[in-house]
Amino acid sequence: MSNATSPETEIASLGEETPPGQTMIELKDLTKRFPGQETPAVDRLNLEIPKGEIVVFVGPSGCGKTTSLKMINRIIEPSSGNIIMDGQDVTSIDPNQLRRRIGYVIQQIGLFPHIRVGDNVATVPNLLGWDRERTTARVDELLDVVGLPPDQYRERFPKELSGGQRQRVGVARALAADPPVLLMDEPFGAIDPITRTRLQNEFLRLQSELQKTICFVTHDIDEAIKMGDRIAILREGSRVAQFATPEEILTNPANEFVEDFVGTGATLKRLKLTRVREVEPTEALVGTVDEDRAELRRRFDESEWTAMLLLDEQRRPLQWLRGTDLRSSRPLTEVGLRARATVEEQATLSDALEEMLLGAAGVAIVVDRRGAYQGLLDVDDIITAIQTMRDATAEFYRAAKLVDPEAEAGA
Amino acid sequence: MAFFTEYLADPSTQRELLSQTAEHIYLTAVPVLIAVILGLGLGITAHRSPQLRSPILSVVSTFLTIPSLALFALLIPIVGIGATPAIIALTLYALLPIVRNTVSGLFSVDRAVVESAKGMGMSATMRLWKIELPNAWPVMLAGVRVATLLTVGIAAIAALVGGPGLGQEIFTGIRRIPAAGSLESLLGGTVAIVLLAILFDLLYLAIGRLTIPRGIRE
Repeated sequence: MSNATSPETEIASLGEETPPGQTMIELKDLTKRFPGQETPAVDRLNLEIPKGEIVVFVGPSGCGKTTSLKMINRIIEPSSGNIIMDGQDVTSIDPNQLRRRIGYVIQQIGLFPHIRVGDNVATVPNLLGWDRERTTARVDELLDVVGLPPDQYRERFPKELSGGQRQRVGVARALAADPPVLLMDEPFGAIDPITRTRLQNEFLRLQSELQKTICFVTHDIDEAIKMGDRIAILREGSRVAQFATPEEILTNPANEFVEDFVGTGATLKRLKLTRVREVEPTEALVGTVDEDRAELRRRFDESEWTAMLLLDEQRRPLQWLRGTDLRSSRPLTEVGLRARATVEEQATLSDALEEMLLGAAGVAIVVDRRGAYQGLLDVDDIITAIQTMRDATAEFYRAAKLVDPEAEAGA
Repeated sequence: MAFFTEYLADPSTQRELLSQTAEHIYLTAVPVLIAVILGLGLGITAHRSPQLRSPILSVVSTFLTIPSLALFALLIPIVGIGATPAIIALTLYALLPIVRNTVSGLFSVDRAVVESAKGMGMSATMRLWKIELPNAWPVMLAGVRVATLLTVGIAAIAALVGGPGLGQEIFTGIRRIPAAGSLESLLGGTVAIVLLAILFDLLYLAIGRLTIPRGIRE
């Protein structure tokens, strides 16, 4: 900590130089040899990570993806090669200063068990010497952002949280000083599937607002397809088998390795590429609890529908009501079928399909982030979406083949 | 039991036992305090450096294998008789539990916790003081507690090298066996030491309550 000011100012502007879409992180011949190992764990990795995108490193275990990620914030020091961040070589600057500008989320989360949630989130702001008020305000803001009401969670200890809540705190802590770059090492790996899907969707929604540059490591190709704007499929020694958009990897795998790794069912995987919000939902017959029952019955009888979706005062789905339910004398909230199978707009069609298959009604109810009803999605909608996707990509590749690549490059 | 209550009722015995207890506390607290300071440094070093770990642990373990009477006596030619050889010997004995628990306490801290601290830009010193030591503290404190109880007991031997403390009362008793009152002295010193050990134990319980962060309490 000899000259605390110079490295601080040196990288304080990290991310402000580069316009969106331009390369934010460039890895140049990045290599890691561990002592006592013959082959390097990471062998001359070259990769350009565009600003504001999620780039997923995916590959079989032992391929060096985690080592590659941990070299970016120099938790693992590279043996050779360079890391250029925002046009600046950060390979040999003070690692502690560098790390305060890079959010870091790991699978085991690593919350500090001896301090409260709020203090955990405040870690980097405290290191950066923010004043108390600014830090407190920021902590509350972030807990809110990750869906943990600050009044309820700020004073808790990590052991008093569930796995999913801990992961949310981990994300809030990584975002605390608003770093332009985020490194995530299997962040949702240790969480049950249902919570994982929810956290993934929430994170994508967050990212659409924050536009951070994110490196994301996973061994799960499905997660890679869902989360990545771009995917780097890595094979042993962190050699890049293909670096492309999920769409392209699924429709046009570069080699056999990628094909094998992506595995069968590429069409089904593409359901993970389309979000519910990209599909026009069907309108259902709805009624709210504060409406008159006779009025509800009238609307039901006039319609072609076999069931009506009952919403609460905040327009959140409650029950599916059939004709007999509407005519019975019991309170509406006690009759009918509980409305399950809700999906957020941020969820993928694959999530929606899964909900449909699980739910009894065979449809998924689309809700917004507050849980309010938006529309319905059924199996037909999903089949139509698949059809459209296929037509669109077929069109794209037909067009691509018609253009002479040489002439295109020269122009 | 009547003979013992008579012994305790004697004001001169009471005065004697009280002042010896005070001496005994001194004879325990000073070595433990020195051992905590030394042991913390040695423990942190042993945790950091794989090369130094086994030499450090071997040396502090060896101290405890030297019979206490011999160690006290060996120190007389160097530092003379009285409290000094006792304090030095007791410090050496107290080191093992403190060093060992400091090392295992530091190793017990979740690696992911330390890595995330590093990933957020905490320097090695900050990680040690803000993350590793607070989380290792319950185990370290347990080591200090064991060291203290050990010292309370062994400190009685100090009387043999002219040292202060409740050991004097015990050895007075031993020397006068089978004279009248010898058993009372022996018993009086012993009971006082046991009570002192219990008091120290309660003290550590209180220290634990006050210093172990709620987030990592059992």
